[in-house]
Amino acid sequence: MTERVDVVIVGAGASGAAVAWRFAGAGMSVVCLERGGWIDYDQVPSRSTDWELARQTTHHPNPNIRANEWDYPIDDADAAIKPMMYNAVGGSTLHWGAHFPRFRPSDFRARSLDGVAEDWPLSYGDLAPYYEENDRIMGVAGINGDPGNPHRDPRQMQPLPIGRGAERMANAFDSLGWHWWVSDAAINTEPYGEGRGACNNCGPCDLGCALRARSSTDVTYWPLAVRAGARLVTGARVFEIETDASGKATGVAFCDESGETRRIQASVVVLAANGVGTARLMLLSRSAAHPNGLGNQNDLVGRHLMHHPTGMVTGVFDEPIDGFKGPFATSILCQEFYETDPERDFVRGFQMQLVRSDAPLGTAVGVYLPRVPWGEDHHQRFLDVFGRTASLTVTTEDLPNPENRVTLSSDVTDGDGLPAPKMTYRVDGNTKRMIRFGIDRATEAFEAAGAVETLPQSLLEGAGFHLLGTARMGEDPEVSVVDGNCRVHSAPNVLVVDGSVFVTAAALNPTPTIQAIALRAADALIRDRAGIEVAA
Amino acid sequence: MNDTPKLVALLDTLMPGDGIDWPAAGAHGLADKTWEMARLQPDGEQAISTMISMLPPGFNDLPEDAREAALREIETDEPAIFGSVVSFAYNAYYTDPEVRDVIERVCGYENRPPQPLGYELPPFDESLLDQVKARGPIWRAVPDS
Repeated sequence: MTERVDVVIVGAGASGAAVAWRFAGAGMSVVCLERGGWIDYDQVPSRSTDWELARQTTHHPNPNIRANEWDYPIDDADAAIKPMMYNAVGGSTLHWGAHFPRFRPSDFRARSLDGVAEDWPLSYGDLAPYYEENDRIMGVAGINGDPGNPHRDPRQMQPLPIGRGAERMANAFDSLGWHWWVSDAAINTEPYGEGRGACNNCGPCDLGCALRARSSTDVTYWPLAVRAGARLVTGARVFEIETDASGKATGVAFCDESGETRRIQASVVVLAANGVGTARLMLLSRSAAHPNGLGNQNDLVGRHLMHHPTGMVTGVFDEPIDGFKGPFATSILCQEFYETDPERDFVRGFQMQLVRSDAPLGTAVGVYLPRVPWGEDHHQRFLDVFGRTASLTVTTEDLPNPENRVTLSSDVTDGDGLPAPKMTYRVDGNTKRMIRFGIDRATEAFEAAGAVETLPQSLLEGAGFHLLGTARMGEDPEVSVVDGNCRVHSAPNVLVVDGSVFVTAAALNPTPTIQAIALRAADALIRDRAGIEVAA
Repeated sequence: MNDTPKLVALLDTLMPGDGIDWPAAGAHGLADKTWEMARLQPDGEQAISTMISMLPPGFNDLPEDAREAALREIETDEPAIFGSVVSFAYNAYYTDPEVRDVIERVCGYENRPPQPLGYELPPFDESLLDQVKARGPIWRAVPDS
């Protein structure tokens, strides 16, 4: 007999976990289907001597390279930026650097302010209470008072230690008269949450946090959601959102761990499988009412794929700064060039984030730096750079372009024989100009900090860690896929609550905004549920 | 045919050691481990085999500058394969316990995993923010925010 629930959620990552907790807390019956499993914290690589190899193999952020049993392939042959994601309970928060910035108010009004892209159908003010609530659940280390952003409630914890490299860069930003601030990070600097310890500055957050100090949702929202009554099914590979003749969702079909096809009927289907996985599932879900895929009557599902195209400058200092100590991604940031300036040859802006330096193998093979050259000078060059570098990202705002998109691959299939998602993506001229400008500014900052060498990278191919925009929100069904409450226009009992709904990308890390939007959408549905038409 | 001598010479050319602290990669016995590293990657073994097949006859008996010149030529002609092999060699070298001991001795980076000990760092000094705080708000307000 087919199980019937109030809400079935696809994906147990940043947003799926948040809405599972919210819906279950409202007394609704909730099942979440996750293709991956639970991470075993006794097995995280940072406990082993060859931990650096895991970054290139079992824990590589690109699922095409990692290719573990929980992953699906992604056809990225026509994508200038490659996908980075994780499939497990906690989703990509499991290998995430845990930057926790908020969008600025202006990020929701790019059309009104700068004449590009579209305005969002919601505002910063609409999300502010949800940002605060989400911060309390996830736990944020930081300091109030950033002049680059509106007021927010006190952070839950004191900021992370920033290290010597960041101190030098902070002084450099001051000398240039530029904005900087210590990063908000979803990383415990003291015990916070259930069974979660404090960060001990070990470094490789991306390999899974042995102390559960980094706020992946398997250790934040999920314990709360399960206690509230949500049921989580792992190893569940959803392949169709099923609909009735009128187009409303009736539930989902999936392959379970044993490969058997199963179904769950639900009043509401929630998609939380990221900007690639959600678009793929919607495109796979063809029916008489949705012949081009669910919600795709205007050929918009999958379009407007946005990343944060990222340049990088690495500065080499003439003394050890022990950059391998501390969470690799989080220390300080600079938003001096965040807003549009008509004097520049691009619109919108970018953020610079300081990244600490790599461990020995990462230094040698080249992550933030070019690979250390082989040959006679190899060992001296290693000594010149190891532990002596810091890097600034140039994290740019990617304007939505309908030709950048997710479709179904005609060449690649997954383990169940279904078409893999295909990413088609190119970097536009505005972004290229912005990166060039940003690299010059980052270089200027390192020179002000006394770096003896600066090494730019114009575009990081592996910057596909924020997958946004492929089911954009808007009030007009002709130009958007979901409404301002994340409901699919043509199937209003389907919610999309991941980064797919983003109208614009802003120029910073999206997770807090994804989660705030998800919580708000869940509240709207709970409030309106008596009036939402469900399938008979 | 036994490829090991060629691979040893190749490794010694990539990372020749300094005669003081750093061992030469091939002489240090990392040929087998380099194969092991290659097997962790799709097509890794094929990359090493191809690379070895491209080495000139008698490569392992050539003087060091001739070996280096031969490798520069292959690097130019087949950068992807060459780059893969270099990565396998670096992976083998920089995860070797004795090399990690050298790094600890020379650089102070302890030869141990990041966990469970982690690292000590001084807490953030909030006074560093005094100047930027004094600047006042710089974010762009919008009417509905």
